[in-house]
Amino acid sequence: MSSSSKLLHQGPVEIDRARRAARPSRGVRVDGVDAVRVALWCVVTAVILLPLGALLVLAFSQNRLPLLLTGDVAQAGLNSVVSASVSALFAVVIGTAIALLLDRSDLPGRRVLRLFALSPLLVPPFVGAIAWIGIIGPAAPVNALWTHWFGSPLWNIYGGDGVVFLLTVHSYPVAYIIIAAALRRVPSDLEQAARIGGASAGRAVRHITVPLLRPAFLSAFTLIAVSNLADFGIPAIIGLPERYVTLSTLVYRYIQSGTVADPLQVVATVGAILMLGAVVAMIVDVLAARSNWELDASASPTQLLQLGRWRVATTAITWGGLLALTVLPLLALVSQALLPAPGIPLTWQNLTLDNLKRATTSPSALAGAGNSVMLSVFAGVICTVLGLAIGTLVTRTRARSNGMLRAVAMLPQALPGLVIAVSWLIIAPRIGLFNTPWLILCAYVMAFIALVVQSVSAPLRSTPLAAEEAARASGASRLRALLDISWRMAIPAAIAGGTLVVLTAVRELTISVLLLAPGAQTLGVTIFNLQQAGSYNAASALSLVVTVLGLAGLGLTARQSRR
Amino acid sequence: MSSVDLHSVGLTYPNGTVGLDSVDLRIADGEFVALVGPSGSGKTTLLRTIAGFLAPTTGLIRIGDSVVADAVTNVPPERRQLGMVFQQHAVWPHWNVGRNIEYPLKLAKVPRAERQDRVAAVMKLVGLEGFAARNPTTLSGGQRQRVALARALVGDPQVLLLDEALSALDEPLRDALRLELQSLTRSIGLTVVHVTHDRDEALALADRVVVLDQGRIQQIASPPELVSHPASALVARFMADATLFEGTIKSAGFQASGHPCAVGYDVLDTRSGAGKAGTLAVLPEDVRLHADVDGAAVVTSSLFGRSGNDVIVNWAGVPVRCRVTGRRPLVGERMTVTIGRALFYPSGSLAVREPAPG
Repeated sequence: MSSSSKLLHQGPVEIDRARRAARPSRGVRVDGVDAVRVALWCVVTAVILLPLGALLVLAFSQNRLPLLLTGDVAQAGLNSVVSASVSALFAVVIGTAIALLLDRSDLPGRRVLRLFALSPLLVPPFVGAIAWIGIIGPAAPVNALWTHWFGSPLWNIYGGDGVVFLLTVHSYPVAYIIIAAALRRVPSDLEQAARIGGASAGRAVRHITVPLLRPAFLSAFTLIAVSNLADFGIPAIIGLPERYVTLSTLVYRYIQSGTVADPLQVVATVGAILMLGAVVAMIVDVLAARSNWELDASASPTQLLQLGRWRVATTAITWGGLLALTVLPLLALVSQALLPAPGIPLTWQNLTLDNLKRATTSPSALAGAGNSVMLSVFAGVICTVLGLAIGTLVTRTRARSNGMLRAVAMLPQALPGLVIAVSWLIIAPRIGLFNTPWLILCAYVMAFIALVVQSVSAPLRSTPLAAEEAARASGASRLRALLDISWRMAIPAAIAGGTLVVLTAVRELTISVLLLAPGAQTLGVTIFNLQQAGSYNAASALSLVVTVLGLAGLGLTARQSRR
Repeated sequence: MSSVDLHSVGLTYPNGTVGLDSVDLRIADGEFVALVGPSGSGKTTLLRTIAGFLAPTTGLIRIGDSVVADAVTNVPPERRQLGMVFQQHAVWPHWNVGRNIEYPLKLAKVPRAERQDRVAAVMKLVGLEGFAARNPTTLSGGQRQRVALARALVGDPQVLLLDEALSALDEPLRDALRLELQSLTRSIGLTVVHVTHDRDEALALADRVVVLDQGRIQQIASPPELVSHPASALVARFMADATLFEGTIKSAGFQASGHPCAVGYDVLDTRSGAGKAGTLAVLPEDVRLHADVDGAAVVTSSLFGRSGNDVIVNWAGVPVRCRVTGRRPLVGERMTVTIGRALFYPSGSLAVREPAPG
C-alpha cells in the first residue's frame, strides 16, 4: 500500500505546488512525511485490519451458515434487525420534529430545551435502561398506581417494545444532531423564495426544506440502525427478562456459557454478518452524501417559523415530552438509589444513603472504577496521538492512499461494538493478551480512534492549504511544515476528541462485557452485574454516580472547548 | 404592475436597534428604484419590509391599492403577489428548472395547460428556452440567476424586488445581465425595487436612486441630480467619493480650519449665507492638479481608469481624491491643487455622520 502510494505521488497526479517547487529532481526520495505515513499504516493495520481480518478468516474457514439459520440465531437476528430499524425510524422522526421545532420555529424556551433534548446522549444506554425500569417497570410507581386504579398495569417495559422504546430514547439525539446540522446548511433564501412565490410558512417547510433534508434522514437512519443493531446493555437488561434475545445478548451467552460447540467460530460468523451489514450501511451513506445537493451559503437571515395558534399546544407537548424523556429517568435513578429495596414506598423515613455509600466504597465498585479510569485514560491518550497524526496527514497532505487511510481509521466507528470485541477475542490468544485488561484497551483504541480523527479533520479541512505552503516557502521541509503548522493547529481539536474518547470509554459496556477478564471488571460491567444479581438499588446508586460525573465532565469539556 | 407607497415606516428591533426611521417613499407604477447606502444603512431592511419578511413597527405600506402593513395588519409575503430575486439565486436544488419556475403558478392553482404556456413564455423572455428539464446544479451562475428571475416573473408580480441580485456574478456577466435586466423591465413596464451596494449599478439602472444611512433616507433623486447635487456632505462622499473639509464661510469665501484649503465665492455652490461653520465637499471631477516641484500635495496613488485617472494626493495631511484626464501622474510627484467647484453644507441643517465601516 505505502510503497505504491509513494510511487504514485511522484507522478503527474502531484499538484502540490510548494512541494514541486522545492524538488527539482524527480527521482524517488523518501522524506519524513512518507516515513510517518508508513508508520501510521503499520499501526492501523495492527489495530484495525488485523483483528477484522482474523474475524473474517475464522468466520469463513468453516461453513457455519446452517447453524445460523437454526431457531435461536435466526430469531435473535430478526429481533436485532427489527428493533434496530424500528428504533432508528422513530429516532429520525423525533429528531426531525425536534430539529424543526428547536432550530427553526419560535417555540418559547428552545435554547434550554436543546440542552434537555441532547442529554440522553450523555447517559450510557444501560444506565437509561435501569432508570426506566424504575419508572415503568412492573413494580414501578406508574404501574403500581395504574393497577391500583384500573386493576391492571399500564405497560410493562420488559420485552421487545421496551427495547425499541429505550433504543429510540437513546438514539434520537444523534438523529437530531445530524438533521439540525443539515438544516443549518439549507439556506433560508430557499424558503423565502417559496414564500414570495405564494407558499405559506408551513408549506415552504414541507415543499422545500424537508425534501432537502432527505440525505440527512438516510444518513442518520443508517448510522443509528447500525449502532442499535448490536447494543448490549438495553436488550440485556430490558429484553432478556421476557426472553427477547438479540444478537448481542446471544453472543454474550455463547461466550459466557459455551452452549454451542466451538462458540468462537459461531460468534465470528455472526460478527462477519454484522460487519457486512455495517459495510453496506457505510456504502449507502457515501452514496447518500454523493447525491447531496451543493447548497450555497445564505445571504439572508433565517426566518423563524411562526407557530401561530398552534404555539401553546406545541409548546406544552414539546416541553412535556422532552422533560419526561430526560428528567424523569434521572429522578427515578435518584429515588431508587435512596431506597433500600425496590417496591418500598417513597417516604422520608425509608430514604437511606446506604446504597450510595456502598456504591462508592465497595471494593468491586472501586476496582471497576479504577479499571475503567485507567483503561479510558490510556485509550484517550493513544487515540489522541494516533488520531492527530492520521487526521492531519489525510487532510493536509496529498497522496492517493489518504482516502484509504482515512476510511480504515473511520471504519470501526461504523461497526457494532460487538464486532470489535469478538475480533479481539479471536486474536487474543495469538498475541498473548488473553484474559488481560490490555485486550480491552486495544479494543477501545480501535473503537474510538475515529472520534479523534473526525474532530481533527473537521476544523483542518476548512483552513486553506496555503498555511503549509507558506511554511514551505519560508524554508520548512514537508515534515517540518506538517509538525509546525498542521499539528499545532489541530492540537486543541485532538485534545477535545481525546476527552470525548475518555468520557465514552469510561462508561462503556458492550466491549468490556464481552472481553471480560479476571480482575479487569470495568465500571459498566460492575453495574451490569449488580443489576443482573438483583441489587437494583445498588446498581441505581452506582449509575447515578456515573451519570452525574459524566454530565459534569462533559459540561466542563463543552465549556472548555467554547473558550 | 403597481405602485408602492411607504408612509413614515419605522422598524425597531426587539433589542432596540433602529432598522428604519420614518421612511417616506412613493414608487410610481412602472418605476425602477434603486436603494443604495453603506452596509448596515437599512437598504436590505427596507426591501425585506416591503416583501413582508419584516413587519414595520410604525407607519403604513401600500402596494397598489391595498394596505399590506400598518399598525394592526401585516400581510404575509406569500399573499403580497411579489417577485423577488435573491443574491444567492435561491434556485431549489431538488427540482429541475421547469419545476422551479412553475412553482408559484402551482400554488396559485393555475390550470396545467396555462401553466405550461406561461412557463414557456417566461423562459423565452429570460433566454432559457430548452432548459426546462435541466438540473439546476448543471447551470452556470448566470443561468441560475435567470431561472430565479423567470421564477420571480412567472406569476405576474405587482412589484419585482431585487436583493443584490447581480452582486454574486462575475464582472463581464454582471454587465451583460444588467443590460438585459433593463431592457426586460422596460419592455414589460415592471415596477422594480433594486437593492445594491454597487453605486455605478444603481446610477446606471434606476429612474430614481434612494440613498439610505442609519435607517433614514438621505436623498431621493434621479442619477444625474444625485451626482451633481448631493443633498449632504455624506451623500457626496458616499456617492461620488467627495473629499470633505470642515471650516467656515468668511468674507472671501470658504476657509478650512487647520488646513490651507480656501475656496472663493465664484466656485462655491452654497445654499445659505456667510458666517457659518460647515462642511465643504469637493467632487473628484472638480479637482485640478498641476505638476509643480514646490506644490503642497504629493501623489500617493494613481490608478488608470477608462474615463480618467483616479488619483489620490496627500494635501497637508488630507487625502484628496481627484479624477484627472491626460497624463497620468506618478506616485511621489508634487502637485498644486486647484478646486474648480465645491459644495458647502452648513452644519446643523443636515447631520453629517461618518459612514459605517465597510
